[in-house]
Amino acid sequence: MKKIFTILLLSCLGCFHLQAQTINDGLMMSKQTLCTGLLYTQDQWKNYWEGTLKRDNLNIGKVTTQSLAWMATYGISNKLNAIAMLPYVKTKASMGTLHSMEGVQDLTLALKYNFFTNKTEKTTLRFFAVGAFSTPLTDYTPDFLPLSIGLHSTTLQGRFTTYFAMSSGLFVTGSAGYTYRGNVKLDRPSYYTDGQINNTDEVWMPNVFDFFVAAGYRKHGLQAELNYAQQNTLSGSDIRRQDMPFVSNRMNYGKAGALVMYYLPQPRGLAVRGAVTYTVSGRNVGQSTTLMGGLLYTFIFSKTDVDNAAQ
Amino acid sequence: MKKTFYSAITTALACLLFVTSCDKSISVTEQLTPLKPASVDEDAGNWTMVHMTSNTQVAVPAPAEVTSDAYKAELASLKDIQSKLNANQKKSIEYWAGGGVLRWNQIFRELVARYNLPPAPTAEGTYPAPDAENPFNDPQFPFSNPPYAARSYAYVSTAVYDALKAAWYYKYLYKRPAPYVTDPGVTALVPQSDLPSYPSEDAVMSGAAAEMLKVLFPAALEEITLKAGEQRNAALWSGKATSSDIAAGLALGKSVADLFKARAANDGMRNAIGNKQLWEDLKKNATSRGDVAWASLETPPRPPMLPFFYKVTPFKMTYDDIVAMRPGPPPLTGSGEMNDEVKEVKWYVDNLTRERLAIVHKWADGVGTYTPPGHWNDIAAEHIRDANFSEVRAARAFALLNMGQHNAALACWDTKYFYFNPRPTQLDAAIKTGTGVPNFPSYVSGHSTFSAAAASVLSYLFPEHATEFEADASEAAMSRLYAGIHYRKDCDDGLVLGESVGTFLVNGFAKNDGADD
Repeated sequence: MKKIFTILLLSCLGCFHLQAQTINDGLMMSKQTLCTGLLYTQDQWKNYWEGTLKRDNLNIGKVTTQSLAWMATYGISNKLNAIAMLPYVKTKASMGTLHSMEGVQDLTLALKYNFFTNKTEKTTLRFFAVGAFSTPLTDYTPDFLPLSIGLHSTTLQGRFTTYFAMSSGLFVTGSAGYTYRGNVKLDRPSYYTDGQINNTDEVWMPNVFDFFVAAGYRKHGLQAELNYAQQNTLSGSDIRRQDMPFVSNRMNYGKAGALVMYYLPQPRGLAVRGAVTYTVSGRNVGQSTTLMGGLLYTFIFSKTDVDNAAQ
Repeated sequence: MKKTFYSAITTALACLLFVTSCDKSISVTEQLTPLKPASVDEDAGNWTMVHMTSNTQVAVPAPAEVTSDAYKAELASLKDIQSKLNANQKKSIEYWAGGGVLRWNQIFRELVARYNLPPAPTAEGTYPAPDAENPFNDPQFPFSNPPYAARSYAYVSTAVYDALKAAWYYKYLYKRPAPYVTDPGVTALVPQSDLPSYPSEDAVMSGAAAEMLKVLFPAALEEITLKAGEQRNAALWSGKATSSDIAAGLALGKSVADLFKARAANDGMRNAIGNKQLWEDLKKNATSRGDVAWASLETPPRPPMLPFFYKVTPFKMTYDDIVAMRPGPPPLTGSGEMNDEVKEVKWYVDNLTRERLAIVHKWADGVGTYTPPGHWNDIAAEHIRDANFSEVRAARAFALLNMGQHNAALACWDTKYFYFNPRPTQLDAAIKTGTGVPNFPSYVSGHSTFSAAAASVLSYLFPEHATEFEADASEAAMSRLYAGIHYRKDCDDGLVLGESVGTFLVNGFAKNDGADD
């Protein structure tokens, strides 16, 4: 134990260029390095799309969703990373009478595989395949939208990511994913959606396609990017006029954002991360502004590749 | 390295296999198998009518003899149709074989859920009223909220029930056998029975149910008409009825619907909304008793839901009977008793456990659902199916249930608007609720009243399940306290009121209608 601690300490002194990464970016952790930390997210909206109709609702006011997520990425090898994430979520409406909700949400586990790299003096090109699994860890209800803390669906995701960087530090990345979503159960024996009543507590969940593009600069411990994410639910109904949202609605959005991550000179291995996104288009979702801040720390369990921990 | 690559590939393949092998189709709980009644209820033509003056109020002419050329031509045409049935037609036969009464109840619940949406506020902060003359507008017509739904379920169920009793009377008067009995060349594609086929019970139902539904849900006219046509076709294609059986049934069903439509047009529903002056008077009634008057918790404030609905004509009871049952008064705002009630509600919302939230949502039956009366139709449907009732006995069960719930709605609305007292959140804004707060006064709880009335009618029909029904009713009642939208007294007194209303119907009508003899 003591030995490991010493190794960690020593290792971290040299790890300046480390980058924590996520499921859809083009970054990898080196073998036997672990990046872990906490991310705080605050998401707020006042207007939402009832189907395609944009409106507000004075019986909800502003909906705020706060989450504190633990995340970790571990380099199984230089080409294969394991990622885990678990948020605690809390929701609240500023007007009306609806009760706020909070609790541990879904655990995400992912494997990211860098199956192709072409590195020259001036450029780096990488391709990644990602498989992700998520499942709710608690029995929170998905049937209290917009204040449910999640949709309570077990999902499987496959995605493909490409990353291109130049020696100047400029990079572009693109990622597209397909998410299979398992059915969910409600507490009630019947529900109406998509033009028909279903006499069951089980809800068929449509699958989701998403893509993500980002461009920015990444060098010397700094990463700054502008990004855009689009999610399309592949079927599902619209919220009807003055109806409540429903778990299997066709929830689509386009979000534009910016992200900055910076590795502090001291203590080494500690990174701060900040991001903002704004929903530019949507269907059956709130037009939210999301602020995120986090602290991530990188541990290196191996003495090799110290200078190369972030690839 | 190579090993890692292979393990990644294996994982990816395993994921893919999981995705492709996983069947996401949902299994619906209310499956109906072809109806095979335990009894044909030969004497149902003599059971007491709900609204018709007698079983012959609508005349049905005698059919042509089965030996006549006209009838033989019908059989020939039927055999020709049967020889060319396609997969869709067979599917229709199978669908309607589950029982016409049960199917219409399902269709009905779907319509209620579809139209159970309150008008959205305008930019000026007002709420336009749904307009029957302009049902496709925004807001759509109707807003099938619980009182509207309770009354609708009652009208459709009773119209179908009376129409079927009249049909049974003529069936046994004329005794024309089903085509599959008369002609061995006709195949019975549904379970056979001894029930005479003239007039066709399926056509009677299609006429009565569809004509009532078209008035209640005018914007769904196309879909209702298609369903009705499909039911008649299925009766023909299945070898159960010939075209003259069906024509006579349709005419009878439509005429009976006309009688019920005339009742509905003059039952007081059109005055149920009231106007601003009348709403002010309700407030004055409450303040003159020394209470705080109910106020809408919505922004902008929404007018109270159908405040004069209690004046609508009940089924098999009078308004005086309802007034005699009126409970209360609820404790006055500010009294020690009411303060304790508020405190208890606050405790429940501050301690909204997952188990209690599940109960809240199980019974919420709010916006966009089939409403609490629909929930009890849902519960009843499975018992009616399992009991293998004949169509007419199934219709009786739904008619009794829904008359009871209609009367319960009246009694509950009478009490609510007589006292016009505030919801818990109006007295303590810190009470945040586990479901939406209904936009009408608190005392007594509608869920409690509906549920107890339904449970007492269903307990009469299915005594072996009485304990379940009572447990369900009290769970539904308590769900409103757990949600923070009712005081305990609203629920307790609502249960008592509902039970009284239900028992009144059972003792005053159901037990003496001839069906139990």
